Amino acid sequence: MKIANWFTPTIALARIAWLRTVLYLFVILDMHAFVRDTRDKGEHPGLYEPLLLARLLDLPKPSVANTTILYVVLIVACLIGATNYFPRVAGWIVAPAFTWWVLIGMSDGKVDHDHLALVIALWVLPTVKAGSRGITSYGDQTRSEAAGWAIRCIQICVIATYFLSAVAKLRSAGWVLSWPGSAVLTWAIVRRPHPVGEWLLHYPWVLHVMQWVGIIGEFCSPVILWLKGRWQLFGALFFLGFHAANTAILLIHFLPTVVCWLAFAPLERIAPWFQARRSDRDAGKAEDQAEHGRQAEQEAGA
Amino acid sequence: MVTQSQAPDVVRVGRVGKAVRVLVAVAGIGLLINGSVRASDDAWPFGPMSQYAMSVPDDAKIDYTRVSAVTDAGTTVDVPLNIEGAGVARAEIEARAGEIVKDPSLLQQVADGWARKHPDQPKYVKLELIRDTTQLVKGKVEGPPTSQVLATWEVRR
Repeated sequence: MKIANWFTPTIALARIAWLRTVLYLFVILDMHAFVRDTRDKGEHPGLYEPLLLARLLDLPKPSVANTTILYVVLIVACLIGATNYFPRVAGWIVAPAFTWWVLIGMSDGKVDHDHLALVIALWVLPTVKAGSRGITSYGDQTRSEAAGWAIRCIQICVIATYFLSAVAKLRSAGWVLSWPGSAVLTWAIVRRPHPVGEWLLHYPWVLHVMQWVGIIGEFCSPVILWLKGRWQLFGALFFLGFHAANTAILLIHFLPTVVCWLAFAPLERIAPWFQARRSDRDAGKAEDQAEHGRQAEQEAGA
Repeated sequence: MVTQSQAPDVVRVGRVGKAVRVLVAVAGIGLLINGSVRASDDAWPFGPMSQYAMSVPDDAKIDYTRVSAVTDAGTTVDVPLNIEGAGVARAEIEARAGEIVKDPSLLQQVADGWARKHPDQPKYVKLELIRDTTQLVKGKVEGPPTSQVLATWEVRR
């Protein structure tokens, strides 16, 4: 039972509301900035090579018609979902539609590994019944196990992205730890030439240190699931720094995973914090006015 | 409507709801582990996280595949292999290099993509798939890369 409860912590519905807004808007960004060739593939399906999931579901080959419909449906459903009105109906449309969108985008011989957490997030978000609608949902402090499960699933996928990449590094070397001492970053930089990386080519030992820090961080990443408060924040900052370094050296940003780190953030505190600040300011203003009033009385009395 | 209070309400899921959720999560973790231990990229989104996962030896040859074009203006240019350029990403070309060598006509779509996206620029008349090889010695880059033409395609109009 304790293990079951670990999968379903009680988390405020407000966090789900914030994630809906951020992630549904992020999907729109993603469609234009990252997985942005799906409609091109509809026009020219020459190199289309369906992935397992597309074959299992017998999804039709991309065409101008179906990718255009997919595009319009996704934009509309994301915009509705982001408002937190009808978030579940919109969410159940976005989840399969975006999965298909990414499946087409990656069906050309190259698969990116930065979309796991985002795609799973889209599938779990609509399982949460919203307690309130629209703007009030951002302050909804009702704690829910359904919300906790969705958050936990996103967190697990974020961490899995790192931990499993360490596993893949062992596997590709035949289950031997040879990756951190190898020339993999040199190889990567030669193939993605870019000033910061090319400068680092002169210092292979720096690249080796980075490889060791990276793989140790990836192996230890599951610990973050059990850390709390400040320590969890440090863990998150470590990996955000890791992505900043990757972006500087190789122009690989992993933003679809980065945005899902928000599942760890206590977003439900934003609305109360904002209200407290506003009422403090109002109280301050009232005091100022009282002060002015007294001064005026004194001046009048003088 | 739920109003904010000192002790916020707690909404629990029923026994069945909880059991289903835990099972789905455990099954998902199982699929992920299976993907990482034995599947390939084909199993997306449950495939291995294999980006940059290989161990590159200190004396490796590093291949970099590109497409070079002769244009109808008589110039030779490197084809921008991205969505905005020729509409095809370098990774796609690299992944399909073997097929392109067998059937160079696959390069036609590179020329078509360029012509469609840049109608006012010189057209490609001949395309070459080229592999640049950089040699590593003791983990450091040694000298400039050497180039080899893998496939040639005279563009159909």
